Amino acid sequence: MAANQRSISVSEFFAKNRHLLGFDNPRKALLTTVKEAVDNSLDACEEAGIIPEIWVEIIQVKENRFEVSIQDNGPGILKKQIPLIFGKLLYGSKFHRLRMSRGQQGIGISAAGMYGMLTTGKPVKIVSKISIRKPAHYYEVQIDTKTNNPEILNGRGNGLDIPAGEKGRNIMESKKIQWNSFYPATEDEEPQEVRSGTRVTIELEAKHQRGRGSVDEYLEQTAIANPHVTLHYRDPDQEWRTYGRATEELPPEPKEIKPHPYGVEMGRLVTMLKEMKEGTISQFLTQSFTRVSPAVARRICEGAGISTRAGVKKIGRDEADKIYHAIQETKIKAPSTDCISPIGEDLLIKGLHQVVPAEFYVAATRPPSVYRGNPFQVEVALAYGGQSVVQKVSAEVLDQLLDQTDSRTIRQFLVNTFDGIGNDAADKIIKEADFGSRQSPTKLNAEQRETLHHAMRNVKLSDGQGIQVYRYANRVPLQFKMRDCAITQTVMGTNWRSYGLSQSRGNLPSGPVTLMVHLASVWVPFTSESKEAIAAYPEIEKEIRLALQAVGRKLGLFLKRRQKVKQEGERRSVFMRYLAEVAGAVSDLNGSDREEIHSNLLRVANRVTKVADTKFDESGNKIQEEESFGDNVLIVEQGDPEEALKQRLLEGNPQQKLF
Amino acid sequence: MAKKKTTTAKTARMAKLNARDKKTLNSLVGMADDVERFASRGRAPHIEIPSRSLSNVKYNKSRKIIEMGSSKNKRELFNLSQARTYMQTLLVGSGCKQLIEQGKTTSIRGLYYLLKHTIEGTREETFVDQGDCDPVIEDVEVALNALREELHVYASNRGAMVGNIVVNDNGDEIDCSRMGSGGYAIPSIVEEEVMQFVSCKADFVLHVEKDTVWRRFNEDKFWQTHNCILTHGNGQPPRGVRRLLNRLNNELNLPVLCLLDNDPWGYYIYSVIKQGSINLAYESKRMAIPGARFIGLRSIDYERCDLNPSVTIKLTDNDIKRANQIANYPWFEPKKRWQKEIKKLLSNGFKLEVEALISKDISYVTEEYVPARLADQDFLD
Ligand SMILES: Nc1ncnc2c1ncn2[C@@H]1O[C@H](COP(=O)(O)OP(=O)(O)OP(=O)(O)O)[C@@H](O)[C@H]1O
Ligand SMILES: [Mg+2]
Repeated sequence: MAANQRSISVSEFFAKNRHLLGFDNPRKALLTTVKEAVDNSLDACEEAGIIPEIWVEIIQVKENRFEVSIQDNGPGILKKQIPLIFGKLLYGSKFHRLRMSRGQQGIGISAAGMYGMLTTGKPVKIVSKISIRKPAHYYEVQIDTKTNNPEILNGRGNGLDIPAGEKGRNIMESKKIQWNSFYPATEDEEPQEVRSGTRVTIELEAKHQRGRGSVDEYLEQTAIANPHVTLHYRDPDQEWRTYGRATEELPPEPKEIKPHPYGVEMGRLVTMLKEMKEGTISQFLTQSFTRVSPAVARRICEGAGISTRAGVKKIGRDEADKIYHAIQETKIKAPSTDCISPIGEDLLIKGLHQVVPAEFYVAATRPPSVYRGNPFQVEVALAYGGQSVVQKVSAEVLDQLLDQTDSRTIRQFLVNTFDGIGNDAADKIIKEADFGSRQSPTKLNAEQRETLHHAMRNVKLSDGQGIQVYRYANRVPLQFKMRDCAITQTVMGTNWRSYGLSQSRGNLPSGPVTLMVHLASVWVPFTSESKEAIAAYPEIEKEIRLALQAVGRKLGLFLKRRQKVKQEGERRSVFMRYLAEVAGAVSDLNGSDREEIHSNLLRVANRVTKVADTKFDESGNKIQEEESFGDNVLIVEQGDPEEALKQRLLEGNPQQKLF
Repeated sequence: MAKKKTTTAKTARMAKLNARDKKTLNSLVGMADDVERFASRGRAPHIEIPSRSLSNVKYNKSRKIIEMGSSKNKRELFNLSQARTYMQTLLVGSGCKQLIEQGKTTSIRGLYYLLKHTIEGTREETFVDQGDCDPVIEDVEVALNALREELHVYASNRGAMVGNIVVNDNGDEIDCSRMGSGGYAIPSIVEEEVMQFVSCKADFVLHVEKDTVWRRFNEDKFWQTHNCILTHGNGQPPRGVRRLLNRLNNELNLPVLCLLDNDPWGYYIYSVIKQGSINLAYESKRMAIPGARFIGLRSIDYERCDLNPSVTIKLTDNDIKRANQIANYPWFEPKKRWQKEIKKLLSNGFKLEVEALISKDISYVTEEYVPARLADQDFLD
């Protein structure tokens, strides 16, 4: 037995436990790969103060095999670090610090590279350039899963240096090394050269499918939460699509902070003690943590029964345990919270408006707060109204979706493919189309497909339409494990009925609503390494609830007012109908000017319908001054949806953004 | 040539107006001026219309007629439930103005057709049917305090007259003793200007409910044998008939005796003739005949005339309800004989039509029933 004991390399462990990192199945593997790379690119750009522009290109190599490339215009990576970053798990710049960023573990991109290698045998290819004049570096890297060390395959283990400028572009062309050297041309400007950046290419076994949990969805949601980013996406059908930035302003740089004693786990405390080579325990505490003054350090030491002057070298496991407990017993001021960089209400609305068509937008950013010593901040944005995705889908895209799906029933297909479609809505569509519930989506003939398309457009979904919840942690969309997430649970636990939405107790409310909830923190408490759901800390849930209530109140106000406007409009139209007749009769009777009377009466009608409705509410009470929406609300006038649709068909471009 | 034609056309359109017409026109124009003034000041216009509901009628005990109270309803253009009737009121106003200016009169049905059209830009009709228009005409009457004929509108003719009287109707002299089997059709406007009494030999007026009964009396020459005037109003008598009865009673001092069915509807017709109607309470002083008397049929007639059970008609629930309502009218309430009459009707549980007397003999009603009551002066007040 003892002979069988041997240490397991981290790489080996993860190779066997892919699901922990988000590589559970081929479809998700594609998404996770894109996501890890894009998240890194955004982190790198923002840290370097560069407005991010990102290219995502997916090429289908053969059935179930894709080549994924992500390029950014970030700072690039120093030559000697490239192999480590992409060929060694748990290597990163973000783990040992407390600073709000997308990545935090140092696993992401190397795990994606390893997954690609394990499924296709192909190395990760990296191009990186740190300045417009300096050469770029090209590496093909593999990870040794036993030793968790990188292997460089090209240039006899040294990679390839590519000179700057025209010459380098020619070399890359001849060696088939992909690199976007220029930004897309704008109308009045020559294309600009990309000065620096990183491009990573991974070939992997995967499956491409649109809809929920797809790359498309991730990119769209990323665009919402990162309005300063421009994303170019070439999908496997080689169609380019661009999500343009809504602002040129970078988010303020988040500050790096020292950990707060309350946030430190026992194991971490021991490691930190080990890392400190010399000095007293008091020095250790005051230097390693925020909010620990010598006085606080003394109280901790007293609580632990250890002298403040004890050397750190002498602190063993037992003493560390005592210190850990003493920390919990000692009153320590909460950390300063100015280290978080929220998206901000303005940009939340801009971002949401850019991607989700709706009538009403509202956002709320809560003041920062603290859970277990970690500063965090919650913000929420909500969009109401507009058309549902199912109603926007063109016949051609529906065809594609039907071809790609692996759902066994149409019901499953509808629910899995389209956001905002729950079982109820799917059943309505199926009923409208008059299909059997067991009908297979792939076996539909042309005529049946048309029927389905027709039904999707015609069924009124707004009643039963489930809301869409977009969850974000440090601006990264969370697309899976919805039910396990503190965000979803808090949304379900909030009473939306009082804000004018229907909701059965303990469920998500329904209605044409897109809700985005963003948790920003120096350390996001995920429920697992795959970073898919946020753990339920009471402090976090409370902040989410308060933010939801803030936007909910404004939604309620909007809905009430919209209802009022509708009634007012109906009233007005009743009056309008008779005004011309009345004006005619008056003019016949006393010979006055018919037009003039008509226009005077119209004016009265407009005034009367306004006043009459604002004077009293439903219960007949006088309404005080109209409550104002306050800031951070956007209301979009709605055109005639049918007209918009016709227009789109006229333009021959029904297939705009779908998901 | 063409010019001349236009002028003639114009004069044809603008008829000579008499003082009454001018007064009516003034109030019609005033109604429009109000709207114009309100609209130009950005205010919501309204019309004040005296309320024609039961709550706004009073029984004047000394004059013994129903009179309209002083309560008025505001009819507003900018009120969801009134906007349509408001429009209709002005339409009726403009229609009447047209009639007056052209010196023409039309029936309420004619006015309805004159004003009926589809509202521009909608599928809605200004008036759906006659019933949609009639109450609005009455509203305009009360709002302007104008009589229907002053608005140049009349109700459709219903009712006939024969008897020892000569009248002048619009220039034509009519001897009502020579009207054959159909009688003289009572016009809807019987005001002094239109109809004058030339000579009258009759001693009283016998008003019967229905055409069928009236024919019996005419055929049997009852008006000759009893020297009277014989009228009918085809059920609830129209205004022309009521006004004529009123004038015969008022100006010629002829007693008016009514022969109506023994049922709540018959009682109600009597009540309208005698005291005036709730709906047209504003017309009572011209229409009501407080001295009118009720001959029959009476609830006691089943026994008194020894009628066959097969001629009775069972009272409906609605009949019973109406009978109780009528018994409680303030003008019936103090009359003990009426209370007894109604109580007996209810205890009978059936009603009797005048025609039921035919079961005794075709001319029983003209030769026995009415003569007997006349001889005894046996009437209900
Ligand atoms: N496109 C890039 N440009 C510059 N630096 C990069 C880029 N991608 C990765 N890096 C560097 O490589 C390190 C490792 O990235 P990796 O994705 O493996 O881990 P991480 O982002 O730190 O954490 P996580 O596992 O949560 O993603 C990062 O910390 C960053 O310093
Ligand atoms: Mg990362």
